[in-house]
Amino acid sequence: MELKSIKDAFDRVANKQKLSYTKTQEIIQMLSQELDKALILLQEQFDHRPILASLKKTLQENSPLTQIEVREKELNMALTKYPKVLEKQQLNSDISKAYRHNVEFDTHVVNQIIANFFYRQGMFDVGDCFLAETGDESECSTRRSFVEMHQIVEAMEMRRELGPALNWATSNSEKLRQARSDLEMKLHSLRFLEIARDQTSQEAINYARKHMAGFADSSLYEIQKLICSLLWSRNLEHSPYSDLLAPSRWNDAVRELTRQYCNLLGESSESALSTTVAAGTQALPVLLKYMNVMVAASKKLDWQSVEQLPVAVELSEEFQFRSVFVCPVSKEQASDENPPMMMSCGHVLCKQTINKMSKNGARSSFKCPYCPTDVDISKCRQLHF
Amino acid sequence: MEIDDPLTNGNTDAVMTESAPPFTPSPPVPASRSSQLTESLKLEHQLLRVPFEHYKKTIRANHRCLEKEVTAFVSGVGDLADNNRSKDVTVSRLTGLVSRLQGLKRKLEEGSNVENLQAQRCRARIDHLDSADGDNITEWNNTKLKRILVDYMLRMSYFDTASKLSETSNILDLVDIDIFREAKKVIDALKRREVASALAWCADNKTRLKKAKSKFEFQLRLQEFIELVRANSYKQAIHYARKHLAPWGATHMNDLQPVLATLAFKSTTECTKYKVLFELGQWDILVHQFKQEFCKLYGMTMEPLLNIYLQAGLSALKTPYGFEEGCTKEDPLSQESFRKLALPLPYSKQEHSKLVCYISKELMDTENPPLVFPNGYVYSTKALKEMADKNKGEVKCPRTGLVCNYTDLVKAYIS
Repeated sequence: MELKSIKDAFDRVANKQKLSYTKTQEIIQMLSQELDKALILLQEQFDHRPILASLKKTLQENSPLTQIEVREKELNMALTKYPKVLEKQQLNSDISKAYRHNVEFDTHVVNQIIANFFYRQGMFDVGDCFLAETGDESECSTRRSFVEMHQIVEAMEMRRELGPALNWATSNSEKLRQARSDLEMKLHSLRFLEIARDQTSQEAINYARKHMAGFADSSLYEIQKLICSLLWSRNLEHSPYSDLLAPSRWNDAVRELTRQYCNLLGESSESALSTTVAAGTQALPVLLKYMNVMVAASKKLDWQSVEQLPVAVELSEEFQFRSVFVCPVSKEQASDENPPMMMSCGHVLCKQTINKMSKNGARSSFKCPYCPTDVDISKCRQLHF
Repeated sequence: MEIDDPLTNGNTDAVMTESAPPFTPSPPVPASRSSQLTESLKLEHQLLRVPFEHYKKTIRANHRCLEKEVTAFVSGVGDLADNNRSKDVTVSRLTGLVSRLQGLKRKLEEGSNVENLQAQRCRARIDHLDSADGDNITEWNNTKLKRILVDYMLRMSYFDTASKLSETSNILDLVDIDIFREAKKVIDALKRREVASALAWCADNKTRLKKAKSKFEFQLRLQEFIELVRANSYKQAIHYARKHLAPWGATHMNDLQPVLATLAFKSTTECTKYKVLFELGQWDILVHQFKQEFCKLYGMTMEPLLNIYLQAGLSALKTPYGFEEGCTKEDPLSQESFRKLALPLPYSKQEHSKLVCYISKELMDTENPPLVFPNGYVYSTKALKEMADKNKGEVKCPRTGLVCNYTDLVKAYIS
C-alpha cells in the first residue's frame, strides 16, 4: 500500500479546490467592478438603458456561470477519483463484512471493560465521565486499586520518591517472589544509589545489608556492581558503572511495578483490551479476505452460526497463551470432550481418533499411524498441557 | 513443525456447501512485522473516508450557494435590461446587487476557510497513517485503541466522554465528533417524532441519496402522512399526499398504497395490516434507516469499530477448551468479562499444534520437547531439567503436586 499515491490524489483535490476558489474570487471581483462602473455611469449619464444593455452584454460575453462550472467540473473529477485511489490502494472499504450480526455484546460488560481500561491507564476523570454518561450505576471495582497504583507510580515518576513503591513491594514480597519478579531488587538498587549519593557510603552499605541480603542468590551480580560503585561515590558518571545512573532504570522499575501490580490484581500485564484489539487487527484482514473470496465465488456461507472460524488465523507469537493440540489425523482441535491421548510409542492423537482407529473398542489394539507399533488402547494416557 | 502443503489441505468443514472448492489461503506463516503493519493500515478506510466525504459535502454545498447567487445576479441584471424600469429603480436595484455581492464574497471566504480546515483534517489523517513505523508501533497502536474508543463513545452518543478522551489523548484531528453531533440532532428529532430535521438532511444530500436510489425521504413523508391521519386531519393528509407522496408513486406504488389506505381506518384500528403502520415503533425503524443512510454516505460501518475488532480478536484467541484455573493471566480470555463476550463467538481454527509450557510459558517444540509425568501432565524439557537440577533429580508437577524422578518422565512426540 502506497500512502504516497493517496497523498498525491488528495493534493490534486486540494489544488483544484484552490483554483476553483481563485477563479470564483476573480469572477466576483469582475462582477463587482462592472457593477460599480455601471453605477458611476448612471450617475453621469441620463439614459440608463444603454448602460444596462452594455452591462448585460458584458455578462453574457464573460459568462461567469460557465467559467465557474468549468473549474467545478475539474474539482469534481478529482473528488470522484480520490475514493477510487483509496480502493486501489487496497484500503478495505467495509471492514464489517466479517461481523456476526446475530451476536450482541452485553453493553454492561463492555462498559465495565472500557471503564477498567481507563482506570488502568490512569485516566480517572475520563473513566468517571464515561460511567456517568452510560448511566451505569455500578462502580468499577478496580478503580480504587488503580488509583493507588497511579499514586505510587506518580510518586516515582514525578518526584523520584521510592517510599510508596517500596512499601507496596515489601508488603507483597511473598507474591512477588512467587511470580519470580525482580521488582524489589530494582527498587532497592535505586534506593541504594540515592543513599550513596545523598548520604554516606556507610549508610548505603547498611541499607544493603538490611534489605538486599535476601536477594543474594538471585541478584548477586547486581549487588556486586552496586557495592563496587561505592568506590566512585561522588564521581559515578565517570566510572565504569555510569549506567547505574541511567533514567531507563527508573522506567524499567515503573514498568515492572505496573506489571506486577496488575498481575496481583488478577489483570494481565498488558491491558486485556489492547491485547484483544491487537489480535483483532491481525485477524480481520484474514477474515475479510476469506469473505471476499467466498462472495466472489458466490459460495453460500453459514457465517452467522459456525462454531469454528472456517479460516485459520495465524496470530503472532505474543498471542500464544494456551496450548493448542491439533490431531494429526482428524485435524480437529483437542477440547475437554476430545482430549489428546498419548500412546505407548509416544505419539499423540486425540481421543475420538483413537476410538475410530480401534473401531470403538471392537479391536483392542491398532497400529500407530506414525511408527508401525501396535498400540494398546487401555495403555493410552490422557495428556494435560 | 512442518507446514502442510496447502494444496493438499483439504477442507473438511461441514459448514460449506458440498461442492465448495477448498479455500486455499497462502501458507499460514506469521507475517513479518512490517507486513503486519501494512495490513493494519489497510483497515483504516473509515479514518480517511469520513472527513473526505464531509469535505466533499461542504464543497458541493458552497458551490450550490455560489451558483444560486450568480444566477440570481445575472438574471437580475437581465431583468433590468429587458424591462423598461425607471432610473431610480435601476439604481436602487443595482445598489442592492452590489451589497448582495459583498455578502456573497464574505460567505465565500468563510466557506473557503471551512473547506481548508476540513482539507487539513483529511491531510492530518493521511499523515497519521504515514507516521506509523516499526519504532513507534506501540504508541501508534495505543492511539488506535483510543480512536476506536472515541468511535464507540460517539455511536452511543456519549459526547462528553468522547470530547474528554480526544482532548486528553490529543487526537481531535483523528476523530469525527462534529459529524456525529450532526447525526444526533436528526436522530433526536426523529425520536421526538419530528421529521423536519431529517427532511432537511435529505435535501442537503439530495444528489447522493438519489444516486443511491434511497427511499428514505419517501419513508419520512409516509410517516408524516400517517401522523396526519392519526390526528384525524384527513383533508390535510390528502393535500399532503398530493403534494409530497404523489411524485414517488411511480416507483414505489407498493409502499404507497397501504399507507394511503390508512385513510379508511382509524388509528386505533385492530386490523393487523394497518395497525402495524400506526405503531410508534415505526419511528424507531426510521431512526435505524437514518443511521444506515448516514453511515453509507460517509463510508462508515454501521457497527462500532470496537465491536468489530473485539469480535475478530476474541474469536482468534478462543480455543475449544473451557476455562482452566491457573491459566496465564496474560490471556484476555482468562478474565470473566472477556469470556462472557466470547461465549457466542466461534473459536479459532488452528492447523498445527502449538504447545505452551505451563511453567516457563515457552513453546514446546523439537528444541524443547514436551515431557510427560506419569499422571499425564506435560511440561517442557527445559523447565523440568532446571527443576531437576535444583532438586537432586526430582521433579514435581506444579498443578497436581505429584513428585517423581526426572528419569521417569516420558517424551511425547507432537508433530
